[in-house]
Amino acid sequence: MHTRKYTPWLFLLPALLAYGLFVLWPIVNSFQMSLFHWDGPMSSPAFYGLRNYSELLHDKVFWYSLWHNLLLLVGSLAIQLPLAAFLAILLHYPTWGRTVFRTAFFAPMIMPTVAIAILWQYIYEPGNGLLTALIQLVKPDFEFAWLATPGWSLLWIFVTICWQYTGFHTVLFMAGLSGIPNDYFEAARIDGASEWQICWHIILPLLKPTAIVSATLSIVGSLKYFDLVYMMSGGLPAESREVLATYIYRLAFDQGQGRFGYGSAAAVLLFLTALLVVIPLQSRRLRSGLKEETAP
Amino acid sequence: MSKTATILRHILLLLFLLFTAYPLVWMALCAFRTEGDAQAHPLALPSKWVLDNLQAVFRDGGFGSAYLNSLLLCVASVIVAVAFAALAAFAFSQMRFPGRNLLFVLFLLGMMIPIHVTLIPLNQLMGSSGLGLKGSLLALAGPYIGFALPVSILILRNAFNALPRDLLDAARVDGCTAWGVFWNVALPLSRPSLATVFIFNFLTMWNEYAFALTLLGPGVRTLPLALNDFKGEHDILITQTSAALLLVVIPLILVYLFAQKQIIRGLTAGAVKE
Repeated sequence: MHTRKYTPWLFLLPALLAYGLFVLWPIVNSFQMSLFHWDGPMSSPAFYGLRNYSELLHDKVFWYSLWHNLLLLVGSLAIQLPLAAFLAILLHYPTWGRTVFRTAFFAPMIMPTVAIAILWQYIYEPGNGLLTALIQLVKPDFEFAWLATPGWSLLWIFVTICWQYTGFHTVLFMAGLSGIPNDYFEAARIDGASEWQICWHIILPLLKPTAIVSATLSIVGSLKYFDLVYMMSGGLPAESREVLATYIYRLAFDQGQGRFGYGSAAAVLLFLTALLVVIPLQSRRLRSGLKEETAP
Repeated sequence: MSKTATILRHILLLLFLLFTAYPLVWMALCAFRTEGDAQAHPLALPSKWVLDNLQAVFRDGGFGSAYLNSLLLCVASVIVAVAFAALAAFAFSQMRFPGRNLLFVLFLLGMMIPIHVTLIPLNQLMGSSGLGLKGSLLALAGPYIGFALPVSILILRNAFNALPRDLLDAARVDGCTAWGVFWNVALPLSRPSLATVFIFNFLTMWNEYAFALTLLGPGVRTLPLALNDFKGEHDILITQTSAALLLVVIPLILVYLFAQKQIIRGLTAGAVKE
């Protein structure tokens, strides 16, 4: 292209400024702030070296938060993704009302998580929530404080996460399935393969690329859980309610906290964890992105 | 496939449909019950259909201004973000310059880091010792635009890469400047991708909670915050809160039913792309 040397930079400048100021600079700033000790919003920061980090490493709540992120991730990989793949396979055969199913399954994805959290708080209402009422049909005196029982609340939040995201992954798997040529199935049927054999030997292996995409999204997303957990587990003791993002938020912004230095140290560790997890996962994607770059 | 298997398959699908849809139907019914009815017979149809709950939401929810705020904020932020992203994506796709790969990777990384890493610094940046924007919608626009850029740049760059080279070359031979090629050729030909990026970012911003919770004050609220506050003030009244939920969700569902193809593509595009 007949362009001057600075033309690319004119095109890049707005994006670079916005990204630099509102994404990159805050990350760098987190590193700086993590080296200071702040007792509250009104106090002034004092240099603290790496002591925030050494305190974090002995902070039980921090480790529990990380553990909860991990549990939610394992749940997604072990339950949500297989369920989504299963639903997609069911829908791959001629189905009455296929579009209706797809539309409905995907629908929770467009709802604000705030609305989802409120809806499910009522479903888990101990006395007369939807779930309690359903169980009371069989067991009239049943009552259970679903979200207020430490050790259990995370499971119920996970069910909500499944409600929100399973349809999304189902649509991904459906797209993956629609890419498999029909000849494969017909050839197998002519050769006398049963539907189970077709499922196991043809569909599942061919779904692998989609499964990798879904799993990557789940892994990257698992460090981003905030809204549902923050809203649904408010009444619990700290050790059983936090994931990393909510812990950072509460350290800094909960009433009377204002522990910006300590919170920033936790944020830096979240950032490093994300990098550690993402770089190996995405290195192929990054490299292929770069290769496309250098092609003419 | 045998008949039994077909029936079994439909039953399983219906079960999951029930799991997805029943909570929403239950909530919608709750919005039209009396509170006593909701306490005594939460599973039945409303014994008496009432509009009081919706009226209460209209009366003291403040949802009107919240809707306006969200609309203003999201439309403006999406337009700016897509414009910035398209410009940058065009440079990444069509121009050569030193440090191109490194910059591109830097942008891609933004997609993968949790936004919560930036909450504390952004709170300081927007606070009175920084830009002084805290509590106003402008405080949200910056981070919304910044975090919308990575996925938008990726999708639009792929779209520009897929444009026929001959066409772009022809435009150049005809004496188009870089801006001319971008504005007259590349953008009009990338409408589907622009729509995808627009929808994805709009929904993300429309539903965003963590930044709004941190950077806005009690005076100015987006829709998720107004909903959250309403729940806080009317917690014991499940019927009124359900009515508020209904008012927030119904417009989204209508838009979704109307444009579901584009929306589903918009929300899955970033994932399926590669």
